[in-house]
Amino acid sequence: MHPGKSGRAFQERLGSWVLFGNQDRGVWQGDHFGNNFAFSPLACCKCMLLESKPLKMADDLDFETGDAGASATFPMQCSALRKNGFVVLKGRPCKIVEMSTSKTGKHGHAKVHLVGIDIFTGKKYEDICPSTHNMDVPNIKRNDFQLIGIQDGYLSLLQDSGEVREDLRLPEGDLGKEIEQKYDCGEEILITVLSAMTEEAAVAIKAMAK
Amino acid sequence: MFESSQNVLLKPTESWRETLLDSRVMELFFTVHRKIREDSDMAQDSLQCLAQLASLHGPIFPDEGSQVDYLAHFIEGLLNTINGIEIEDSEAVGISSIISNLITVFPRNVLTAIPNELFSSFVNCLTHLTCSFGRSAALEEVLDKDDMVYMEAYDKLLESWLTLVQDDKHFHKGFFTQHAVQVFNSYIQCHLAAPDGTRNLTANGVASREEEEISELQEDDRDQFSDQLASVGMLGRIAAEHCIPLLTSLLEERVTRLHGQLQRHQQQLLASPGSSTIDNKMLDDLYEDIHWLILVTGYLLADDTQGETPLIPPEIMEYSIKHSSEVDINTTLQILGSPGEKASSIPGYNRTDSVIRLLSAILRVSEVESRAIRADLTHLLSPQMGKDIVWFLKRWAKTYLLVDEKLYDQISLPFSTAFGADTEGSQWIIGYLLQKVISNLSVWSSEQDLANDTVQLLVTLVERRERANLVIQCENWWNLAKQFASRSPPLNFLSSPVQRTLMKALVLGGFAHMDTETKQQYWTEVLQPLQQRFLRVINQENFQQMCQQEEVKQEITATLEALCGIAEATQIDNVAILFNFLMDFLTNCIGLMEVYKNTPETVNLIIEVFVEVAHKQICYLGESKAMNLYEACLTLLQVYSKNNLGRQRIDVTAEEEQYQDLLLIMELLTNLLSKEFIDFSDTDEVFRGHEPGQAANRSVSAADVVLYGVNLILPLMSQDLLKFPTLCNQYYKLITFICEIFPEKIPQLPEDLFKSLMYSLELGMTSMSSEVCQLCLEALTPLAEQCAKAQETDSPLFLATRHFLKLVFDMLVLQKHNTEMTTAAGEAFYTLVCLHQAEYSELVETLLSSQQDPVIYQRLADAFNKLTASSTPPTLDRKQKMAFLKSLEEFMANVGGLLCVK
Repeated sequence: MHPGKSGRAFQERLGSWVLFGNQDRGVWQGDHFGNNFAFSPLACCKCMLLESKPLKMADDLDFETGDAGASATFPMQCSALRKNGFVVLKGRPCKIVEMSTSKTGKHGHAKVHLVGIDIFTGKKYEDICPSTHNMDVPNIKRNDFQLIGIQDGYLSLLQDSGEVREDLRLPEGDLGKEIEQKYDCGEEILITVLSAMTEEAAVAIKAMAK
Repeated sequence: MFESSQNVLLKPTESWRETLLDSRVMELFFTVHRKIREDSDMAQDSLQCLAQLASLHGPIFPDEGSQVDYLAHFIEGLLNTINGIEIEDSEAVGISSIISNLITVFPRNVLTAIPNELFSSFVNCLTHLTCSFGRSAALEEVLDKDDMVYMEAYDKLLESWLTLVQDDKHFHKGFFTQHAVQVFNSYIQCHLAAPDGTRNLTANGVASREEEEISELQEDDRDQFSDQLASVGMLGRIAAEHCIPLLTSLLEERVTRLHGQLQRHQQQLLASPGSSTIDNKMLDDLYEDIHWLILVTGYLLADDTQGETPLIPPEIMEYSIKHSSEVDINTTLQILGSPGEKASSIPGYNRTDSVIRLLSAILRVSEVESRAIRADLTHLLSPQMGKDIVWFLKRWAKTYLLVDEKLYDQISLPFSTAFGADTEGSQWIIGYLLQKVISNLSVWSSEQDLANDTVQLLVTLVERRERANLVIQCENWWNLAKQFASRSPPLNFLSSPVQRTLMKALVLGGFAHMDTETKQQYWTEVLQPLQQRFLRVINQENFQQMCQQEEVKQEITATLEALCGIAEATQIDNVAILFNFLMDFLTNCIGLMEVYKNTPETVNLIIEVFVEVAHKQICYLGESKAMNLYEACLTLLQVYSKNNLGRQRIDVTAEEEQYQDLLLIMELLTNLLSKEFIDFSDTDEVFRGHEPGQAANRSVSAADVVLYGVNLILPLMSQDLLKFPTLCNQYYKLITFICEIFPEKIPQLPEDLFKSLMYSLELGMTSMSSEVCQLCLEALTPLAEQCAKAQETDSPLFLATRHFLKLVFDMLVLQKHNTEMTTAAGEAFYTLVCLHQAEYSELVETLLSSQQDPVIYQRLADAFNKLTASSTPPTLDRKQKMAFLKSLEEFMANVGGLLCVK
């Protein structure tokens, strides 16, 4: 049994209460719960979408291409951000540590309050915006490289391709000392390099599995 | 002090009979109150005395007659005191306590035995006070007072009404109807804007309106005022003849106004786009009116029951049946089926079933909302109202949609025609609700609470097989499923909890009744894409290289989220299929752990999938399936451990992320252990036919996984991490479980692990919260019993328990401690004493010899003698143990405070 074919009681009357009766807005016009009740929700949803997001449709994903030309950030509706996820606040890539909502008046629309910490500097940033807004999310990458040398405060790291990169600074502080010490002792270690929005930093080390 | 003593009821012994039953005594208290009532402090005290007298019960009454006399006398005194005076603010709570005590303490037959006239004066007075306190409570809200005395008094009186009217044995039907009408009307009036109501009006009639910032922590009205609403809903049922048509007309009128208002806004927008200086006061007033009307309607028409099927309230059923002969069924269906039209535009609209018309009034609100959305007016709508609508529809659908006629003696014809099984009406409504859900999820993805209420409605539609059968006949349902599976906008804008619940609903829908081919097709469209996409990503040759690409990471995250949603859909009758489906993923997830070892947020989510699967499914799994899961969990932990051993991180979020991993791992272990307590799988019945019996060669047990996990966690735990209260509680819960369930495994632990476990227990007993301390004490008893069983006097556990004996001894005898802990401490103490009798005597000797004061010495020595007198020599025998615990109680009462005050 299909609702569209159901009894006359449901479809007899049309149009006595055509709302917002502006004839050129065709989407809703005249769709009573008679025959056209089963109109495609998607057709309807699409027109309601917050206009075209530059997100790729999943089926178009091309996993083969490398990431040349990949942008540093991508937009995401505030409501879809997740705690533990990332977001750009005041131009800085941040990890979201707190996310809460509020509204002005009982019938107001939601606003999202975000607190994030800069993944490179540890500085705290906050922002508040309507929950329908798009926020930029940074592309975050973590890569492990083998440490093969330290020269003038720069690390020599062996890439998967076999090439060596020497443009990354030895981190300051304890981790830097630890790296130097392990290197001096001849321990083989992997270094995790975190990169986001053209910035990079060594953030972790791990002894290589023998 | 005052607060806590307020609810103590007065139950004196017989010896008080002459004093308290003397009517002059009671009169004295009333007279005193009349004299001092203008002094607010004294008035509260004297009302407190009267509230005590209003709760008099027990052996003081020789017979029912004396109780009736006392009550009649009391009510007379009360009415004389209250009637004709203007009640002071400070009296409101006291007076409502008196009334509430009278109604709760005195049995109904006593209440009805007092003279009729007196009883009706009492009920009239109650009605009058309820309405008047309600109005004052509304004023308090407008003035935003800190101390809401009238609100408290109003709550008490509404609760008393609920107690009073729920008894239909002692009062004839309709006895309370007129009173219910008055209380109901005044509630509605206080919640509606002028001119119909008085909301936001100050005493002198000035409207006040403030737009305040509301945080997500503020409870929704439907929860904050649930008690009030339940009472008002109940009164509304009693006076259904009046209340249902009232709500209908108030709603219908507001829908028309809302529609008109929105239309004007739209014309304004079209005439001059961009001029957005619209005053929303009118709209907000309408939204607030509709908000309260929907809440009251929801509480009036249906109950919210946890778990069981809620029934249509008998008053509502009777009301509909009573009028069904005057009702035109066809017009009723037409009113229901045309939410896009004004009810009054339908010929014969007055000859429709009132209950259905009330429902259809709310569908009309919903329809205006939907149309405003389609006309691009979403920004003018109230998400709160949207939330109220789906909340109502969910509550309504649970109770009324596809009524199970077997559950009722009599069923209303309009109901069974409109919402019964195999009717066009129910099919239509399901289509309509589904449409609403889909529209909401697309338009309101940014309103998390609204989206959440919406998916909850969807779950309601599919969680019962009968409804699900109709849902899956809708094309929309399939579209929704396909669209969600494609992970495209707008559904992927939804927050992750909402997406999980949506996944849960889609899976539940798959267990509806379909022919094999359709079922096949459904799973091909819902679950298979998930698997295919996932496998396509992870099986690529260069997956390792591209795993950090954003698209790949998003794909992985979405899959893991979906798996959590699938696990949430587990029910006893689908666990076999879902478990097998999820198990394939779990194996792959372990591979992912390896690939994403340097990506903490992904690792965290992978562990969460395991936590969810264990949480929802372990209790249904038979031995061999459970073992599969244990093995998977064990491998997961091994990989996690390997990847984190020797890793040093300095990034700013390292500590937070590690804390979250640990918390999840502990949750996982606790979930696995929970099978020892809750197990629905006495046979492998749900899996019958799915696997050959092979449980005999048990390779991994829960104990192995859990101990391995603990082995892994303990080195990572630090005193700093234990400062996170959630983590600390979860940790101690876990180790107590282990000691209780596998005490025999403890002595076999590696030395380091054993030591840190013992240290954790000591730490928990000495420097954590009392809750943790209690857990640790509970862990000691099984450990000591284990030692007694093993009879090894040189094992590390034996030595450790000796140390614990001293700790518990000191705690009981020398330190201040929470008395609630005495039982747990006592049990542990006794078992430890049995194990180390010599050491115990030594402890006692040392303590006694350090006493200078001969009096105290003697008292202590006697107390210790008495303590062990009943259990010499102490043995691990239940009877002796109970005797000891009893003596310990006396011991504590006797000398407990003697030594700790230093």
